[in-house]
Amino acid sequence: MGDNLTDQPIIQVRNMSKYFDEFEALRDVTLDVHRSEVLCLIGPSGSGKSTLLRCLNFLEAYDGGEVLLEGELIGWKSAGASPRKALSGEALRRQRQHIGMVFQQFNLWPHLTALENVAEALIHVKGLGKKQAHEKARAALAKVNLSDKEKNYPANLSGGQQQRVAIARAIAMEPSVMLFDEPTSALDPELVGEVLSVMKEMANEGMTMVVVTHEMGFAAHVADRVAFLDSGRLVTCVPPAEIFGQVPEDPRVRAFLQTYRERNVV
Amino acid sequence: MELDLFIRYGPALLSGFGVTILCWLVGSIGGLVLGFLLACLYRFGPKALGWLIYIYVEIIRGTPFMIQLFILYYGGPYVGLVLSPMQAGILSFIIYGSPYFSEIFRSGFNAIPKGQIEAARCVGLSERRILMRIILPQMLVPTTAPLTNFFIILTKETAILSVVTVPELLYETQTMAAETFTFVEPFLVLSLFYWVLVIGTSWVGERVEARVTRHLRRV
Ligand SMILES: Nc1ncnc2c1ncn2[C@@H]1O[C@H](COP(=O)(O)OP(=O)(O)OP(=O)(O)O)[C@@H](O)[C@H]1O
Ligand SMILES: [Mg+2]
Repeated sequence: MGDNLTDQPIIQVRNMSKYFDEFEALRDVTLDVHRSEVLCLIGPSGSGKSTLLRCLNFLEAYDGGEVLLEGELIGWKSAGASPRKALSGEALRRQRQHIGMVFQQFNLWPHLTALENVAEALIHVKGLGKKQAHEKARAALAKVNLSDKEKNYPANLSGGQQQRVAIARAIAMEPSVMLFDEPTSALDPELVGEVLSVMKEMANEGMTMVVVTHEMGFAAHVADRVAFLDSGRLVTCVPPAEIFGQVPEDPRVRAFLQTYRERNVV
Repeated sequence: MELDLFIRYGPALLSGFGVTILCWLVGSIGGLVLGFLLACLYRFGPKALGWLIYIYVEIIRGTPFMIQLFILYYGGPYVGLVLSPMQAGILSFIIYGSPYFSEIFRSGFNAIPKGQIEAARCVGLSERRILMRIILPQMLVPTTAPLTNFFIILTKETAILSVVTVPELLYETQTMAAETFTFVEPFLVLSLFYWVLVIGTSWVGERVEARVTRHLRRV
């Protein structure tokens, strides 16, 4: 019984659904993410991977079901009420501090240097003094091997470096879980490796991560489990060996992986 | 060219130039501030207010400045608003410019990629901080050039204030022309004054633009 608290998944998604007007983007998704787990989300384009990820930190307001972060309902005041009432901005911001997010397009703030990008929220959200915030920001930049670039504006960083700054910006807030939405998809092929290796290192250090990716190598070798989405539904969520190591049972997963194999042959 | 003509009318022309600069600066900075407030209310205020602002913008943009000035100056007294020519001139200048400024700022807001704002929300920055720290500093980039441009356009719109006898540059020039029966000289001087104003404004605009786009330059 005493183990209950530590055994509780960091994120629990319960029968979650999401509509864009009439369009059902997610249907009845149920999924747990455990502490220190790396969960990769894969699936065809338009299957709802980004939407699912964005519902986890309430960038998109999910409609039905629940998303719990360490047992606490995200975004809504209560799951029962109808219509649901959103949490106050203040309360939502408090929740979001525990969830880091990294985007495909990096989304750095171009008018701030690498260091300032990382320090911004430390100062204005965590309330640290400038000196302390910069110290912390430097430590985060060191983690992503960018100590020498702290004075650069994003315009003077490569895509891979920008994405690493974005990762530093997120981890500096010491979140309990990190969300990645295709973090390497906007990068030139030769820059993908540096970002993946930073992510691998984070995984090794025990960070809880949910990663939407088309990097099947990363999913196969780093993920603890791989979830496959199709048409807004969670088809399967299993250890990578069950998807990559053998011919998957589900025909949709099989077809999806087939296109990857074909592409890699060329 | 008769030099003593300019010695006689020089002070009046200079004072006209001064009044032009005053009306232009106060009027356009006032218009800029009002336009900025309108753009903020449009974006962050309630929907109904957005509609009102939309209607205001369309009406002001859809009528000539001179008509607005006439209505304010000659019509004002009927609703108890008695203004001196200068007051009416500056006030109507503020009103006239505000919707254009508001449109410049509105498109400036829209030029900030949504992803940057989402990234700010993800690290827990408040909406107010996002406005102050992320949106506003970056808005200077896409808006500086159109703002400079509109300031330049407005330099010349000040001439219209002469129709309600504001003693600005055109008014003084016309007085000089009428009293001396010279035309070429006074209007050459008038052009020179406007030209100085336009060149000065665009010089300042370029400096500001260079400053606010510094971070985008690749080194
Ligand atoms: N804001 C929105 N408004 C309307 N429809 C949306 C919106 N966002 C996503 N959708 C739709 O929801 C579905 C899922 O989109 P989502 O972006 O989650 O897919 P995805 O799996 O991330 O695809 P990709 O691999 O291309 O990024 C798509 O059909 C998309 O068109
Ligand atoms: Mg996506």
